[in-house]
Amino acid sequence: MTTKRPKRPPRPGPRAVGAGCAALALLATAGCAGADTSALGGKPADAAKLKLSPTTPPARGQLDRADWLLEDEPDSLDLDTQGTSAGRVVLTNVCERLYQLQPDMSVKPFLAEKARTPDDRTLVLTVRDGVTFHDGSKLTAADVLWSLKRHADPDMEQADEFGNVKSMERTGPREITVRFKEPDALFTKALAGDAGIVWNPRRVRAAGQEFGTPGHGDACSGPYRLKSWKSGDSLSIEAYDGYWGKRPLTRRVDFRWASDSAFVNALKTGAADGAYAESPNTAAALRTTKGLKQYYGPSTASLALIPTARGGLKAPAVRRALSLALDREGIANSGYGGLVQPWASPVGAGSWGYEKEHFAAAQRKLTALAPVSPTADDLAEAKRLVKEAGAPDDPIVIGTDSSQGRTVVANATRAALQRIGLKAQIKTVPPAQFEEFYSDPGARADIDALVGDWYISKSDPMGFYDNGLSDSSNNWVGFKDATYDRLTRRALATLDDERRARITTDIQRRFVAAAVWIPVAQVPTALVLSDRLTGPPASQGYLYYPWAAELGPRKAG
Amino acid sequence: MALRLVLRVGRRISGVLATLLAASFVIFAAVYAAPGDPAVFLAGGRDKLTPERLAQVRAEYHLDEPLFVQYGRWLWDCVHLDLGRSFKYSDQVADLVAARFPTTLQLVLYATVLFVVLGVGAGVLAAVKRSTWVDSAVVGATTLAASVPSFVAAIALVSFFGVRLGWFPVTGSGSGFLDTVRHLTLPALSLALGALALVSRVTRQAMVDAAASDHVEAARASGVPERDIVRRHVLRNALGPIVTMCGLVMAGMLAGTVVVETAFGLSGIGSLLVGAINTHDFPVAQAVLLLMVTGYIVVTTLVDAVHPLLDPRVQGAAR
Repeated sequence: MTTKRPKRPPRPGPRAVGAGCAALALLATAGCAGADTSALGGKPADAAKLKLSPTTPPARGQLDRADWLLEDEPDSLDLDTQGTSAGRVVLTNVCERLYQLQPDMSVKPFLAEKARTPDDRTLVLTVRDGVTFHDGSKLTAADVLWSLKRHADPDMEQADEFGNVKSMERTGPREITVRFKEPDALFTKALAGDAGIVWNPRRVRAAGQEFGTPGHGDACSGPYRLKSWKSGDSLSIEAYDGYWGKRPLTRRVDFRWASDSAFVNALKTGAADGAYAESPNTAAALRTTKGLKQYYGPSTASLALIPTARGGLKAPAVRRALSLALDREGIANSGYGGLVQPWASPVGAGSWGYEKEHFAAAQRKLTALAPVSPTADDLAEAKRLVKEAGAPDDPIVIGTDSSQGRTVVANATRAALQRIGLKAQIKTVPPAQFEEFYSDPGARADIDALVGDWYISKSDPMGFYDNGLSDSSNNWVGFKDATYDRLTRRALATLDDERRARITTDIQRRFVAAAVWIPVAQVPTALVLSDRLTGPPASQGYLYYPWAAELGPRKAG
Repeated sequence: MALRLVLRVGRRISGVLATLLAASFVIFAAVYAAPGDPAVFLAGGRDKLTPERLAQVRAEYHLDEPLFVQYGRWLWDCVHLDLGRSFKYSDQVADLVAARFPTTLQLVLYATVLFVVLGVGAGVLAAVKRSTWVDSAVVGATTLAASVPSFVAAIALVSFFGVRLGWFPVTGSGSGFLDTVRHLTLPALSLALGALALVSRVTRQAMVDAAASDHVEAARASGVPERDIVRRHVLRNALGPIVTMCGLVMAGMLAGTVVVETAFGLSGIGSLLVGAINTHDFPVAQAVLLLMVTGYIVVTTLVDAVHPLLDPRVQGAAR
């Protein structure tokens, strides 16, 4: 499984995209409502016509209560120790961060109301005045500093975001100064994620080891407070009356969770008002349901083939040839009901938190290396590349699990390889083992390419491209390029957005040209919502933005 | 007499404890040997899977120690009533299990009521109307029901009665007695269907055997009404095997709710176990499996204890 695991976001997180059927797939190959859209009478969407929008129409009025559905029970509500998307979807309405990720994926100062950079190795944050935690105590600069130090603790999920930090101290009644060893362009982006949550230290310390487990209160300042969490049953949040900002439209949200067919059925029967569907196949199964609307928004998530150092795809020319021959449109339509889009880079459009035009133009150019569906010219060029490089003797082994989407990608990859004169075979492992391909070089020793997915938590493509550094543990194929490394380090240290965007698209072009990973599709966020309601963001911003506060009725009255 | 009873109870309890100890080791070894690496799930995210981080996580959770050392550590804590903390939820294992066990227990009890009423009822009917079309119909219908796997039954029931007709909720376990009954009807039915054939067949056979005994013949000859014969003599003598079989089926169900819980979005110990196995959540998987084994042993022991009370012939033999 059950995958739901296969399973979790940003930091890679989510459960693998499209792994929704695992639980039942163990037991049966049939019967997973999330998998077979045609059996449910759903009409597949057309990937080519999918429109992405970061927002939904604004709500008109208040709502007393909403029932929301998650794909899994949150592991914990202490995102420092267990950051999973189910926990984040809930907690982002309860907790606030120093910066805030907007629905359009841009980032702005938030609990830090102002930020100055006297030089590019220093960040001075001014803590917002008049904010109270849910226990009524005032949020102070000391609390901010305590929270930052907790996030930076090496045992915590977000510790790696603080790698460049030399010191953090309070330099005034409402002022925190962070000094860096190297300029760090992504640090403020990280502060819009879980590295920027401001905890109430008194509550965290009082709860001790039980902090974040069911039956304990929250330690935050957001528009909602945690009302109750009954382990294994449900979780409720309600509007916090002492909130410093705008009153939320929905007074109370009750969360329940279900997976696979139970998830689909709960939405179909109106037992739940809405959900952010982590798997495109789940959304596909609900596309034609009466009383439900769907909104698709930009996300950083993508599907990609990740080559390994085993040998079959060692030659960059062979990888490029595979990229040219792959039918991405076919994969999107038959593997994911048309709810993913053929894509030519390894990060989705949700990563464009700045300089959108520039990134979009660069993306269009990349299509030449990773076509939507291969033309005769693409195939001829691919065959030429293979001939030049020499075909490997052994068949190219494609590693996958048995989820519907991945199975389609694996078969399409095999077809593409055969079309350009290469031998290929598929190796399927149980979902529980699948994640090991990512962690264990020993497990990868048997495969040449992994049917992978990835997403990043920061809305900046540079949050991804360090995976191509010569010494990165995610650079499995052994790509080594001194220029690439130099440019990557430079981009990560360039604070000016416009200049960083230019370096980033250069890095991206090199990454895709060398086919370090072979991009397949971007996976938009899917919001499934009762047609009586509207308001929350439809982009990946929902993980870091108080979406419930904007949920409300579509019609006034 | 009293001493003999104490000895017998003592022997029983030590047998149960020995069984549990053996089971706990087998389970621990099986979870340990399962493919996959818990450190991957504990490391927190694919971008963190460096060899150093994984080594650090393994050391922190004692995953780098030999099997026997890990088992010893677990057993030591367990004896001190500490089942540890879940890797996945960071919550106390005891809390997680305690929150979910009632749902599974209610589901199994409801399913038991259904298969006892329907299964025994059908079996009695078939025995009384032996060799008629009623008998064949009962055998045919229950065999058909038993041949449908519970996940297929679950999905069919949900899509028809839940989604299409909207008579029953499709997820969750409800709160309050009536609401819980409504929520658990379809899952309990899917669980009970498979047991119908077995229970009704055993009931029918036990009744047929009992009906052939001498004292039933004698009662018939002395003109006792047929209905009294069936109730007072036949059914009573057949109770032993029927109760034993119902107990065994129910005990087996405790460990068999996984699929049905998943299909109906119920958070019971079955779905907790699936999640734990998939994320290599050792402490939770260990505790849930052990609970299932314990449940099985408790139910079968109770059946053993009740059996002599039902059947005087067994009483003399029990030593």
